[in-house]
Amino acid sequence: MKVFFLFKRKIISLFNSLSKISGWKALKNIIFLSAGLVLMSGLFFSFLRVLKYLRGVELIGEILIWKLTAMVFLMSFSMIMISSVVISMTTLYYSFDLGFLFSSPIDPKHIFIDKCVDTVFYSSWTLLAAMIPYVLALMKTLGLGWIFFAGYIAAVFPFISLAAIFGIALSLVTMYFFPSSRTRDATWIIGSLSVAFIYVAFRMAKPEHLLRPDSLEIVARYVNYLQAPTAPYLPSWWLTKTMTTLSAGKLEFFGWLSLLYLVFFTFYFILYKTSGKFYPSGVSGAQNIARFKGPITRSWEQNLATKFPSLRHFLFLFGRERKIFLREVKHWSQIILIIALVFVYIFSVKNLPLDTADMKSFICFLNIGAAGFVVSAIALRFLFTSISLEGKSFWIIKSMPLGMNEIFYVKLIFYGVPTMILSLILTGFSDYLLGADYFISFISIFSITIMSLTISVLGLSFGAIYPDFNVENIHQVESSYGGFIFMAFAMGYTAISVAILAGPVQMHFISRFNPIYVFEKKWLYISLLAFVIISFIISGLICKTALKKAEKYEI
Amino acid sequence: MIEIKNLTKKFGSYCAVDNLSLLVKSGEIFGFLGPNGAGKTTTIKMIAGIMSPTSGNIIVDGVDVSKSAIEAKKKIAYIPDEPFVYPNLTAREFLRFIGDIYDIPSKEQDEAISFYLSRFDLLDKADQLLGSFSHGMKQKVLIASVLMRKPKVILFDEPTVGLDPRSVKNFKDLISTQTKAGVSIFMCTHILEMAEKICDKVGIIYNGKMISCGPIDKLRKESGNNGSLEDIFLELTS
Ligand SMILES: Nc1ncnc2c1ncn2[C@@H]1O[C@H](COP(=O)(O)OP(=O)(O)O)[C@@H](O)[C@H]1O
Ligand SMILES: [Mg+2]
Repeated sequence: MKVFFLFKRKIISLFNSLSKISGWKALKNIIFLSAGLVLMSGLFFSFLRVLKYLRGVELIGEILIWKLTAMVFLMSFSMIMISSVVISMTTLYYSFDLGFLFSSPIDPKHIFIDKCVDTVFYSSWTLLAAMIPYVLALMKTLGLGWIFFAGYIAAVFPFISLAAIFGIALSLVTMYFFPSSRTRDATWIIGSLSVAFIYVAFRMAKPEHLLRPDSLEIVARYVNYLQAPTAPYLPSWWLTKTMTTLSAGKLEFFGWLSLLYLVFFTFYFILYKTSGKFYPSGVSGAQNIARFKGPITRSWEQNLATKFPSLRHFLFLFGRERKIFLREVKHWSQIILIIALVFVYIFSVKNLPLDTADMKSFICFLNIGAAGFVVSAIALRFLFTSISLEGKSFWIIKSMPLGMNEIFYVKLIFYGVPTMILSLILTGFSDYLLGADYFISFISIFSITIMSLTISVLGLSFGAIYPDFNVENIHQVESSYGGFIFMAFAMGYTAISVAILAGPVQMHFISRFNPIYVFEKKWLYISLLAFVIISFIISGLICKTALKKAEKYEI
Repeated sequence: MIEIKNLTKKFGSYCAVDNLSLLVKSGEIFGFLGPNGAGKTTTIKMIAGIMSPTSGNIIVDGVDVSKSAIEAKKKIAYIPDEPFVYPNLTAREFLRFIGDIYDIPSKEQDEAISFYLSRFDLLDKADQLLGSFSHGMKQKVLIASVLMRKPKVILFDEPTVGLDPRSVKNFKDLISTQTKAGVSIFMCTHILEMAEKICDKVGIIYNGKMISCGPIDKLRKESGNNGSLEDIFLELTS
């Protein structure tokens, strides 16, 4: 079977890339790996706490645990389903090796199966990784052995494949009937909208309350609800049943496991058969570039430039940046996710279980640090990558009679201003919702303004110091050596800023508790001044280095 | 006018361009010939100011490229061998952007855009994204962007790779109009027949060194070979 040659090629290239890892790449992998392990053990201990608590509930402890498990599986199932929509479009229709594969004498059905494997893997690996700590915590709480784990592994394989089949089938059908690259763009947008929606909806549903019996008044109804199957027609319920029966040592286990495999084989067999007709024509249709009718009139930047001739370079470059950015769908799907993140962030802040007004004000101060982190992540995605994304077209700017500083200004305004607005929303809403006092509100708004400006300058500058004009995707730029240095630098700067401002904030709280204590305004001014000066010196120095480096680019 | 004196470019210890000197007068077409990897692209990038020389001077129309890069870039137009453009701009938007940066009044821009695009049969595609253009179509847009600017010096790196015969003819006509206006043209090419026909002067570069330079007749005398440029080229670079 040729399909095995296709798999072999994957394994060989995996081993090749593993054996070639060295230097920064090795370090990067070690860093990411350890960060992943830390995250997974964090998840393990939080799951363990929740499960132990549930187990302690009298009479219905075990039922609660399985209810939660069913919900976790359902969540995972829907997340994999949705990411498979976004991912299958790329793997099935826009992989770099498709041209080669289709020009060789391989059955398109086999190429299809090969790409299905990719889709299943890429849309499920993060959730699989997050589910392992859950299953381990489950095993520890219920005192189950490794047979349970083996059973889980056996059952989870058809489970994730069935979740991903949704996206695969959807892509197969839509690309067949709407053969255009715009179909991909549309599914990307719809996909990220749904991820954002699920994310927000899940948070708004306050899952922490579902676990508290006191929220449902009648106990009998509650127990009924607990024992009822959760979405019984979805594989997530079959997986839950497989796991419960296995844990109870019932033979019924084989029945549920067979059901998973049976449905898995049936669906993939049908897909395999139909792909012979749908897939090749979809692949050829995916290359149709959508007709785009650009404007004939001049843009508002160009019109404005006739009124302000001294700003004309800025305005022309701004117009260029705007069009290039806004016409790229991958930025839009990212922006949708960021908006969802902002909602969840503010909602979580609002629902923090805080009692006293002082505690709330204090959290508002700590919130500066959290907002600094979010701003750094956003600067990494948009400012740090912006120079590298000029890519192979960079020669156009480079051969123009422009200084690199002009390009820096434009990028800083274009990406930095929205970043600043976002940071103000994060802190402003938090201050408002938690009812921070005037002093803390002032400190947090003032400092986040300066910080987001500094972090934006740092992001742009580090991106210019470590550019890569040969990039294939944004993710590659973000996870580069320079991206890592930038994040470390931005986090360090955030920590220093919070530390400097902690002095006056502490005095403020002492003076609230103790009316005799005199708040010396002098220290407030000194701290603020130190903070502003440090911010300006850091951004000025790094920016200067970056400009020098950028003037000397050889492309 | 392009004046190059003792130009050297090293990549680490590798010398890609070695002590190169040449002069292209205004109104002249200079053909820069050489096998792959000889250092043509490196030289042209240094003239365009997107790569800096290890040593030596480049003076374009009286302006030193390393010392006053921005002044020099106003006079220079450059088209690279690979026509990378912004895939998310339409041809019209791209040409207007170029026109704007080089301070061409918008009325003149629009006239030039319709003139050159119709000349290259691209007028009906003017408002489509450059991402959907073929290699040759992008190259034509770049040629249009250069010609509408009225520069003093035009640098072409392999200008006709990817162009159809009719566009090559168009290209030749258009650049001969330019030279009449006093523009100097510096052109790297593999197509010796074209160099023979349109260049006033040719230089042959081999392993970073200029091994022969001058009008084709002078090259013939020097090499003692009375054949075509191809014969001379093969003899000198063997
Ligand atoms: N950025 C670079 N770094 C290192 N070596 C380079 C670089 N650019 C070109 N070279 C080397 O310089 C030599 C000349 O290249 P180039 O000028 O591109 O040749 P060509 O005459 O074909 O245009 C080649 O050997 C090439 O490998
Ligand atoms: Mg070359």
